[in-house]
Amino acid sequence: MDLSDRGTQLRLGAAVGTVLLVLAIALARGWPLADIVTVGFVERTLQAATPIALASIGGLYAEKSGVFNIGLEGFMIFGAANTGALVWIIGGESPTQADLWVAMGLAVALSIAYTVLFAVLLIRYKANQIVAGLAVWFIGLGFGPFTAVLVWGNRNSPGLVSMTDVTVPGLAEIPVVGPVLFDTSPLVLLTILVAVAAWVFLYRTRYGYWLQAAGENPEALDTAGVNVNRVRYAAVIFSGAMAGLAGAVLLAHAGSFTGTGQTMVNGRGWIGIVAYLFGNYNPLGAAAAALLFGGLDMLQIQFQTVGIQFPNRLVNLFPYAAVVVVLTVWSSTRMPSALGEPYESED
Amino acid sequence: MLNASVGERIAIAAASTTLAILIGLLVVAFAGYDPAQFLGNVVVGAFGDANALARTLKFTTLFILTGVAVAIAFRAGVFNIGVQGQFVVGGFATVVAILQLAPFLPTGATGGVLLMLLGTVAGVIAGGAYGALPGILKAYGDANEIVTTIMLNFIATGVVGYLVDGPFRGEGNRAPNTARIPEYVSLPRVVFDVPDFSVVGLAVTLAVVVGIAWVLARTRFGYDMVTSGHQVAAAAFSGVNAKRTVVATMTLSGMVAGVAGALFAIMIQGYYSDPAGIGTYGFDAIAVSLLAANNPLGVVPAGFLFGALDSAGSHIRINSDVPVQLIDGIIGLVVLFVAVPELFRMAAERTGLGGEN
Amino acid sequence: MAESEQDDDQTVPDVRLRGITKRFGDVVANDGVDLTLEKGSVHALLGENGSGKTTLMSVLYGLYDQDDGDIFVRGDRQAFDSPRDAMDAGIGMIHQHFQLVEPMTVLQNIVLGHEPTERGLVDIESARADVEAITERYGFDIDEYLDVPVRDLDVGVQQRVEIVKSLYRGAEILVLDEPTAVLTPQEVEGLFDVMAELTASGHSLIFITHKLDEALTAADDITVLRDGEVAGTVDAANATEQELARLMVGREIDFDRKPRETAIGDSVLEVTDLHVSGDRGLKQVRGVDFAVREGEILGIAGVQGNGQTELVEALTGLRPVESGTVRFDDEDITGTSRRDRIEKGIAYIPEDRQEEGIVMDYDLIRNSLLGFQTTEPYVERGVIDWAAVRDHAEGIVEEYDVQPPDATTEAASLSGGNQQKFVVGREIEHEPTVMVASHPTRGVDIGSIEFIHDRLLELRDAGLAVAFVSSKLEEIQTLSDRIAVMYEGEFVDIVDPEAVTEEDIGLLMTGAALDGSADRPAAKDGWSDGGRPASDRGDES
Repeated sequence: MDLSDRGTQLRLGAAVGTVLLVLAIALARGWPLADIVTVGFVERTLQAATPIALASIGGLYAEKSGVFNIGLEGFMIFGAANTGALVWIIGGESPTQADLWVAMGLAVALSIAYTVLFAVLLIRYKANQIVAGLAVWFIGLGFGPFTAVLVWGNRNSPGLVSMTDVTVPGLAEIPVVGPVLFDTSPLVLLTILVAVAAWVFLYRTRYGYWLQAAGENPEALDTAGVNVNRVRYAAVIFSGAMAGLAGAVLLAHAGSFTGTGQTMVNGRGWIGIVAYLFGNYNPLGAAAAALLFGGLDMLQIQFQTVGIQFPNRLVNLFPYAAVVVVLTVWSSTRMPSALGEPYESED
Repeated sequence: MLNASVGERIAIAAASTTLAILIGLLVVAFAGYDPAQFLGNVVVGAFGDANALARTLKFTTLFILTGVAVAIAFRAGVFNIGVQGQFVVGGFATVVAILQLAPFLPTGATGGVLLMLLGTVAGVIAGGAYGALPGILKAYGDANEIVTTIMLNFIATGVVGYLVDGPFRGEGNRAPNTARIPEYVSLPRVVFDVPDFSVVGLAVTLAVVVGIAWVLARTRFGYDMVTSGHQVAAAAFSGVNAKRTVVATMTLSGMVAGVAGALFAIMIQGYYSDPAGIGTYGFDAIAVSLLAANNPLGVVPAGFLFGALDSAGSHIRINSDVPVQLIDGIIGLVVLFVAVPELFRMAAERTGLGGEN
Repeated sequence: MAESEQDDDQTVPDVRLRGITKRFGDVVANDGVDLTLEKGSVHALLGENGSGKTTLMSVLYGLYDQDDGDIFVRGDRQAFDSPRDAMDAGIGMIHQHFQLVEPMTVLQNIVLGHEPTERGLVDIESARADVEAITERYGFDIDEYLDVPVRDLDVGVQQRVEIVKSLYRGAEILVLDEPTAVLTPQEVEGLFDVMAELTASGHSLIFITHKLDEALTAADDITVLRDGEVAGTVDAANATEQELARLMVGREIDFDRKPRETAIGDSVLEVTDLHVSGDRGLKQVRGVDFAVREGEILGIAGVQGNGQTELVEALTGLRPVESGTVRFDDEDITGTSRRDRIEKGIAYIPEDRQEEGIVMDYDLIRNSLLGFQTTEPYVERGVIDWAAVRDHAEGIVEEYDVQPPDATTEAASLSGGNQQKFVVGREIEHEPTVMVASHPTRGVDIGSIEFIHDRLLELRDAGLAVAFVSSKLEEIQTLSDRIAVMYEGEFVDIVDPEAVTEEDIGLLMTGAALDGSADRPAAKDGWSDGGRPASDRGDES
């Protein structure tokens, strides 16, 4: 990560500061820290961060290319509902791990199909990106649970199957790091891989250059002989695929589908948007922000287990409030200049 | 010119709804239900009898008011995606104000009217303040209002949800709700004898529409706002203070959302519940406004369309075995197609309909 | 698609345009234009704004299809569908608005779309080596900026980056679209050096400009466009400015000044030691002092980008000042808002009419309210009387000869000249005490120019204080009672137009003081009796 940028330094400082502050309060109050910050907590934090990070990286790519995909939440709902339905269709009452992998793969393929349509509406037909994105959310909130009702006769599924941890022999024995990284869900490792790959791709490959140019100065990219809309299609479709994968991962970790209320996705797509804004459009920054938010989420559970009560509703608002502050205080969070503007080549 | 574009708007609305319902019917048929019956339920649910019509109008008032709130901001070139939050904060403030003030005022009709007025004022102030906040952050902190207003929606829902669950929960309530506002604080039942819709509410709504349309078209403030929406530099040239206009716009927009919140609190609910379970009027309102080309008068028919769809959904929820989520999905599709007028324009051109081009 | 040109000449020109005609609706932007660019030469395309220069180059660059005529590149007939095709044929264009991605580094920008890669990753070191080879060969001084984001660079450097980008892409023929408009005189000289290096190594350049001296200095051949037609093509070595000027405007420029009818009065607008920052936080106005008096026109000359825009915005209340004062009728108005100044009687004809002066989507009725939002009877207690506004609009349309004479016309559908006449009329209707005008005749047809000039002179005769900025020297000399020349944020000098030549002003615009400062033709009577600071800052610079 490029640490020379002042905005990035401030963000890092703020994130580390938040963590230290929580720890300091915990110490000052004499809370049993050792019972709170356990290896299990770190492991659960990583798992909680995984879907947020994936959706965030997807959304970041779309926005970098100049298209605001605020439909992440909706695409996540579809990803989760489709994975659940598919694993039930393929594996019946007792699906296997293989069924789960296949279902996830098919669900991501379906997400790609949806986003192709979405991207056509946004790019070719110049849809209002905000309204279309909100519509995807509504459609997901409607059709996601509807799928569940069709499949299980209920908005919630019965217990299906959840992803088992993968243990790397030897490495898993390392204290702390071992169980956290080498005895955990393979999806956590996959996400780490995706985050690093997304960073390399964005900043070190020509396609990454094009992606940035498409969002900042599409005309410059066009005159460089690159088809701007093709770049944007790729980015939007990738964002849908990542959001679909995020939903699939959420289901694979939970082991069942929940379609009541805001569904099991429950705002994680929106937090994904927050995460990349917080991470200043840097894939690793977004993943780090996802980790922070996931950790915060899990921390409440830890507090509860040691008997400390918090108004969860309020603590859950932290990411939203934080991003408002970040946007206001550090205007270094520069959105891509051409964000939301359809591009028409002058050919 | 104006007529042509009004005609075009109506055509787009009709096409979006038809296409969405067609897709919905396909899904219904595919899922093994009877599409004809479903379609019948949609019509009956929206307009079938006096009760259905009252329900449609009830939702319509909310869509119109929130739609106007969005339209004000969009006309001034400010993207207020936070109407839902301003609506929630306004409605909650209305309930709290009425509950707090009721002991100090007489009961009966006088007290009821007074409390409704004061409650609405509280809702308008709260909604306005909650709208002003992202306006100030945009004007003086350069924070993108699209993002901040989205975030403030979640914050409003979370904070009000926390408040109705804890500090403001009505005594003895099992659900996370505030206490009920007194019986006598309610709008009169004229024409429709239903508990949650009053023609007075509709009249208030239409008065707000006319008022806002007048402000935009006939006052200096409206001219300054709309000019800013067209060309910020031209507005600045003519002596308009851009920053102040952004804040004023957001405040006015939030105030109208506050009226919607107050109406929801007084006319429909009579108490305040967890906003996570309240309809997404403030979000749908963006589609309503877009469909109306951000014209306050156009918001009336556009709001009616959404009101009818929501009303049909409520009917189907009770009277049909088709899962109600389907209607939510169909409304989502209507919103999606509303966002893409270009789709229908191109289709019209290709089929030789469209006319003028 | 390449069909060879039947040409008996021995040397094939790099570019030959033959009979290019391009229409937009009823408007003929280019009418049978011929142009020949010889290899290794600079061909200047000279003409006023709106004369069809940019259209012609857009045709060459594949942005527009010509309605008639042929393009030959190195003897082959070409039909470019897109800039990409033009680039493939070795043509590069440096636009006025740079095609740069601001947050990306110089190096990334240069290689964009043509990145060398190694195992899937951009090979940035090989890119650096390639770029440094180019910068070294042509003497571009940008190596130190290669890893700097473009947004942190001055426009002069950004322009060099654009040129290097074209060269990196293999351009042999470069089109420079008004490259000097954004440059300081030193940067212009630097650019000319670069151009010389390029031609020496066999590149050919088309250099678009509307400045006579630049064309004469930098070009080998000059083609003058007027109203979309070629007014003449001349050999730069044998041409004079007078000849070019005649070709540009179609007649000898009339330096006849209309006689004054009224005496100059007291000073109305006084500026003391004014410092103003630009959009990027750089100081654009650095300590300017002057006064404008009743019944006089102060012309502010200078190359675009020397602080004129910021100065005017500070006078009209659109931009806060860093330090110094602006006084109006002996009242300090430095911190007052734009609205206050409108109401006090400072009218303003803005630089960018289509962005600031009018709202393009509004009809003329609604446009006529712009700036009059607090003026009775159009607005009373915040409520607009549209009937009164309509009368107001119709009055302007009639009085100032706006065509078509219909106030319900949408502003966007008016020609530039009529838009400007409407703006000028509306601003005069303020019945102001001071009129500030920025490039009042830019992009306006000749008839409208004369109309606007006459209006400004009428204002002067009616006793108004007029300050106007222009980069057209003849306009400055014809209209002004005194001329202030601005360079790098300062007034180099304030001179009497009758006592200086166009060359003198041109010299001042480069920041140089005139010879023999003792008997320099300063505008001696430039200051009010109140003991204002001395007008002449030329001594200091």
